[in-house]
Amino acid sequence: MNALASVVFVALVLLVATYLVAVIDATIMIRVSRGRGYTGVWMDPIARAARLMMQRGSRTERPDLQVWFLAPALLAGLGAVALASIPVAAAVHVADNGAGIVLFGAAMLQVMVAVFLHGWAANSVFPMLGAFRMAAAGMSMSIPFSLALITTALPAESLSVGAIIVSQEGLWNVVRQPLGLPVYLITALAFSFWGPMQLPDAADLAGGTTAEISGVALLVWRVARIGVLVALSAMGAAAFLGGYLGPVLPGWLWMMVKTAGLATVMVWSGHHFARMRIESVVFLGWTLLLPIALVDVFLSGALTL
Amino acid sequence: MAALGSALAVFLATVLAVGAAKWAGDVLNPVTLTIPERVPFAGGIPPDYHAWNRFHIRWYTMALLFLAFDMEMVFMYPWAVVFIREGLVSLVEMMMFILILLVGIVYTWRERGFSWA
Amino acid sequence: MARARVFVGLKETLGRLARSGPIPVFAVTAADAINAVRDLGLRREVEIVATPRHASVLLVAGRFGEGPIAGLSQIHDQLPLPRLTVRWNGEVLAEIPQARLVAGDVVELVDRLLALDAEILAGALASESPLLPDVDAVEWRGVGPYGHGGSGMTGGTPFGRPLADRAPDRDGLELDQLPVSVGPWVGALPAGLELHVKLQGDLIQGVEVGPKVAVMAPVDAFVRALDVPTPVKLLEVERARHHLRWLADVLVVHGLSALGLWALRLAHDLSPSDRSEVERLLSAVRKSGVIKLVVGRIRGGVVSPGVVGTGPIGRAAGSGDDARLDDQSYQELQFQPVIGETGDTAARWNQRMAEVVQSLDLAARAEERTAFGSGCVEGPRGLIVSKQPPASASLLEVLPTLLTGLEWGDAVSVVWSLDLDAFATSVVLLPSGTET
Repeated sequence: MNALASVVFVALVLLVATYLVAVIDATIMIRVSRGRGYTGVWMDPIARAARLMMQRGSRTERPDLQVWFLAPALLAGLGAVALASIPVAAAVHVADNGAGIVLFGAAMLQVMVAVFLHGWAANSVFPMLGAFRMAAAGMSMSIPFSLALITTALPAESLSVGAIIVSQEGLWNVVRQPLGLPVYLITALAFSFWGPMQLPDAADLAGGTTAEISGVALLVWRVARIGVLVALSAMGAAAFLGGYLGPVLPGWLWMMVKTAGLATVMVWSGHHFARMRIESVVFLGWTLLLPIALVDVFLSGALTL
Repeated sequence: MAALGSALAVFLATVLAVGAAKWAGDVLNPVTLTIPERVPFAGGIPPDYHAWNRFHIRWYTMALLFLAFDMEMVFMYPWAVVFIREGLVSLVEMMMFILILLVGIVYTWRERGFSWA
Repeated sequence: MARARVFVGLKETLGRLARSGPIPVFAVTAADAINAVRDLGLRREVEIVATPRHASVLLVAGRFGEGPIAGLSQIHDQLPLPRLTVRWNGEVLAEIPQARLVAGDVVELVDRLLALDAEILAGALASESPLLPDVDAVEWRGVGPYGHGGSGMTGGTPFGRPLADRAPDRDGLELDQLPVSVGPWVGALPAGLELHVKLQGDLIQGVEVGPKVAVMAPVDAFVRALDVPTPVKLLEVERARHHLRWLADVLVVHGLSALGLWALRLAHDLSPSDRSEVERLLSAVRKSGVIKLVVGRIRGGVVSPGVVGTGPIGRAAGSGDDARLDDQSYQELQFQPVIGETGDTAARWNQRMAEVVQSLDLAARAEERTAFGSGCVEGPRGLIVSKQPPASASLLEVLPTLLTGLEWGDAVSVVWSLDLDAFATSVVLLPSGTET
């Protein structure tokens, strides 16, 4: 796709997908909390967005203003780039170059930087604690994340996401490399700071990095975060569930279904598992997920040969 | 290359669009705040100190380990591409590389670098 | 001209869209309004938020003592425009005279909030102006980007607020230590609890408990049972409701807001027949890993029976004190208190969860029996004796030693597991006319 078409395409996909994930989140919240007769799930995300657009932005006394403006924009840009590296259908892709996995990994690891900047900017205690937590969590989770994705590149002999999808025509990677998807999903939760990994914007920090943010800036941050979740789900669908491959339906529809499925799994886990302690996240990343990811790499390597 | 150009275009466009959205938000609702409206929130009492401090990063040893594994990742990317072509030898070589690094994890674990409280 | 009309039309559309969603409210509650505000959180038209920056309405609920409420004017100014203050079930606030007064129950409050919100979004009602004077508390002097300064850093006079100075840490190093006052009205801590914390990174190096907020004491079923023999069924259902509401708050703090909302719905109109649903909730809580994997991994936070011997905290530490053992009705029901062992955070969670089920079971079997009425009652937080401070008052004294050395998230978990009543409650008159 040329540049203009790419931008429009990614923007549309991100906005629609963000809205749908917000609806899924509200639906699961209502079901888990045994709410009855609530019919507002479809309007709720739009109503909240409208209210935030009417709310005035805030500032703190001595913030770092450039970083304050940059951080949500950076997060949104990273989510968009990550989504752009994933092909939607056989010939429809925005930026599926020869090293899509590297581009995606680079974009997702920078999310840690964007969240840290967001917390640092306000010069306030709660956002800063959230920022440093995310730095520790991001570092611990990034190696298993990259390893899980590299393992899917082994059978494809290429780092391009399109080639990885094509290499799954016989068998999906979730079957060939069963350890990969669980590790990937847990680290994806960490990079989109969702549910059990909601460390930077946690409730025990009074909203964490968003504690001093209001108005459009808050709306943009929340939308960008869901955009990152969507990008991570799409990559999971592409690398482990065969992407646009599938029998009856057209490719893009399969891609949507699989992405929605993974996003629903992650949102569901957000409502069913408690937020982990930062120490546990670091410990888990290094002593459990990393060895599992390494076993995954070598086992798959041996089986692929 | 064209693909990377598209990716760059997407990134820049998103960053600029979001920046423009926030600027538009400030135009719709201009931010003219008094000083008490800008006090950081910590429950109602204004702070006495700037929050920026030299945060005691107790997990800095973990960060060093992260650097080591990040360099390993750099080598694994091209390894994954040529893996099938090179065969079993490359698998064994990478395993040896990883095992040496795993010693680092065991060391950090034992030196309580992962639990800092 | 046309541009202005488009602008106005856009704002109108946004306002109409916004009205179909929840109103974000930041609540400052006294002791007697905490349950009412929780019930407000159940309504879908209202969302209780964690920080005033996300809120449109500042809700001041309940009856406070004399004098200004600590931190209230500051929080009022921290709400972004358009903002509004509503005073619920209490007297006029001296520091916010323009607050709208609402008396009555949740339904009336929600109706009033919706009406006011519609007016403010449509622009018919002016937003409240800031209360505090536009004067810098710490004057900005000289040229220095972002307020840098302070002794030892650049070696000059501080500009604006100083930077954190250094203090020794446990390894003997001189590192930055940030003193911060985590105030009475933050969602991370129970309402009314003010802690002056010294943070080194995210580790707490020192804690001081700040002055308590003066409120009028709530009169609930347990306080009434000091004088008047009260039905066991009522007491036990109220006890279960108290523990479920505690569970709801603590689940939200630990990231399980959906389960917390479920607990709140159960507590709203609880009856002994809800026992199976309560057990389903408790099993969902256990499966979420919050007890085994989160609070159970905290190193520290142990409250020994010598500090608090009664109530769920004492029983979780192994002390068998329970005033219900001395009451004849409970003896007829063959009541045996649930006793834990370790006295740490996980033990307190398990204790209260077990007591919910036990209370519902007692209420189901109680029939028409009455209990207490002779000056001491086993309340949900511990022993209540008339004319004496509650047993859990000693918890605030032990908080500093309990929390020092913990990481911030762990400290928050420990504080919430204590089910503190952080208010200074003043003398209240019971319906029968006696003082307590």
